[in-house]
Amino acid sequence: MKLLHLYHDIMNLYGDYANVLAMQRILQNSGETVEVDKLSLGCEARLDQYDFIFIGSGTERNQKVVLEDIRRFRDDLKRCMDGGKVMLFTGNSFELLGKTVTDADGRVYDGLGLFGFTSEEQNKTRMTADAVFGCGFLDSELVGFVNKCSRCRGIEEPLFEVKLGLGNCDNDKGEGVRAENLFGTHLTGPVLMKNPHFLIYLASLILNRAPSEDGMEFVKAGFEVTLSELKKRMEKENN
Amino acid sequence: MKRFFTILICKLLRFVGGLLGKGSSLPGQVALKLCPDILSRVELPEYIIAVTGSNGKTSTVEMIAHILQKNGKTVAWNREGSNQIEGVTTLVLSSATLGGKVRSDVLLIESDERFARYTFRYIKPTHYVITNLYRDQLTRNGHPEWVYDAIADSIHDGTRLILNADDPLVSRFGAGKEDVIWFGADRLSSDTDTLESAYNDGAYCPVCKAPMTYSSYHYNHIGHFACTKCGYKRHDTDYAITAVDLDRGVMEIDGKYRISLALKSLYNIYNILAAYTVARVVGVDGEKIAAEMGDYVLKNGRVITFTLGKRKGTLLTSKHENSISYDQSLRVARDYKEGCDVLIIVDAVSRKYFTSDVSWLWDIDFDMLDSPNVGEIVLAGKYVNDLAARFDYTGIPKDRIKLFADIPEAVDHLENGGERYIYAITCFSDKAKFLARVKEDQ
Ligand SMILES: [Zn+2]
Repeated sequence: MKLLHLYHDIMNLYGDYANVLAMQRILQNSGETVEVDKLSLGCEARLDQYDFIFIGSGTERNQKVVLEDIRRFRDDLKRCMDGGKVMLFTGNSFELLGKTVTDADGRVYDGLGLFGFTSEEQNKTRMTADAVFGCGFLDSELVGFVNKCSRCRGIEEPLFEVKLGLGNCDNDKGEGVRAENLFGTHLTGPVLMKNPHFLIYLASLILNRAPSEDGMEFVKAGFEVTLSELKKRMEKENN
Repeated sequence: MKRFFTILICKLLRFVGGLLGKGSSLPGQVALKLCPDILSRVELPEYIIAVTGSNGKTSTVEMIAHILQKNGKTVAWNREGSNQIEGVTTLVLSSATLGGKVRSDVLLIESDERFARYTFRYIKPTHYVITNLYRDQLTRNGHPEWVYDAIADSIHDGTRLILNADDPLVSRFGAGKEDVIWFGADRLSSDTDTLESAYNDGAYCPVCKAPMTYSSYHYNHIGHFACTKCGYKRHDTDYAITAVDLDRGVMEIDGKYRISLALKSLYNIYNILAAYTVARVVGVDGEKIAAEMGDYVLKNGRVITFTLGKRKGTLLTSKHENSISYDQSLRVARDYKEGCDVLIIVDAVSRKYFTSDVSWLWDIDFDMLDSPNVGEIVLAGKYVNDLAARFDYTGIPKDRIKLFADIPEAVDHLENGGERYIYAITCFSDKAKFLARVKEDQ
């Protein structure tokens, strides 16, 4: 199987690269031979030959640089999305998929237009928060962290339901975006490492069968500890 | 009259607070309420030196104060934990006469990089040292470029910048300025030709975003960089580390001043260089600075030697959510030729605010511990599973790693586990839990 870590050196701000490691490991443990390509600005790539495509978070400036570069993949990405390819976009990389991104100075950049939503950045306050998100297709909540300066408007079918943390904009209870097997979320960093059940779900979509759960003891135990810490936090905030 | 009363009240509150052992931000907070522009109403000394950056500012400020005081200057400076505007206000007003004149030769301010823009609205530094900009507490700071923008807002005309030439993001503050004072390291024997880091924040030019190349890496993305497109590159230095021998614990500045090191880390030598640079700028002779810095042991408790049963060790206080600070500590353990065991504790991510985010573990280059100098690795604390998962993706053999959620159990295990030297690596937020179980050397 082939995995693609796209913009691996410029969109890798919060340990996002570990998502690819986690996917590589679970597929290998499930008996697959796995190859990982790390590509970046200006590289040739045939997206359709990959079984999984990942892009992580970057600074606002780096995201704009990537936005210019990724345009050449617009139609390929659209075909991949419509064809049900498993793809994950963490942090502000998923804003690339929308209609426009407006920076803090008000400059408007065209997005890839795979979705109709718009993103608007500001440079006054960093919006950061620990997160607990509910998810319809998983047995358990997701944990993680959101670190952004933007608001996304116009997402009708969000990926997650916010129980703790930040939604797509303001008091929005929806977070992220999904179409077919394309998953976009403002959760930053090693989302799949922190949420083994989400990793298992994505791997099962790639494999068309249940993956092996061998060697996942630490990540599973780590998830339980974080979830219980965050639930304690939620109780404190509700009181 | 208003100034007189505000200063008086600040001094009184500071005195009472001192008796109660309270922090130093409240008096300044009250003073700012009473007279919001109080800082622009006091008469400041000839030198106002501000220090900011992700890592090492507390140590650098302590060393600057030490050198200047030993050379007959009076210095008003803020100690750890009071580097926002309230703390700085307390510092200034409690060092001032009731007539509103700060009595020292030098006002030395450690400034929080995110809040400098507020502090320096009223107190314009004559010199502004920026040590480095790394991934640091990103759950609050966002990312280094976000902090860059915040610091850029705090730089005003008439302030001379003192910049680390080896940090590509910090160097950008000097673009278009003629009077910058640059410090940095020449190519050192410990340098590498390739990057040693779990990530690369020097991959792209901070100015034009084209790829960068390095002729030499000092550590992580700190080194001699050059953009492949726009001409942005490391600036020549005014004050430089010309040689270093970490094994023997000696550094050389400007080709002539040799300083023996109490702490053998690259980190430490940069802090010493920054302090040296400031002291030179204030007019202290290089020979005298070197004499004062020789074997200087920091008083701020970042490095503590201890005894545990029959074993000896050093606590290297690092910062959670700050991978380069961890990398520096790991490098010390890796290079310890006599051989050591390593303890790493992640129990509370922060002491100041809540987060359970451990993404930063993936930015730390734990593979450094895959070294013949390192024996057992003990991982401990509430987030021991996340540490274990991270180590699962290093090349370190599993049988060398021991896991304990409970910190006392981890310490007991070490006490009964051989005689090698111990390096304990953890954060301010967790170090007390460790120190409670060992005997600190005096
Ligand atoms: Zn450039």
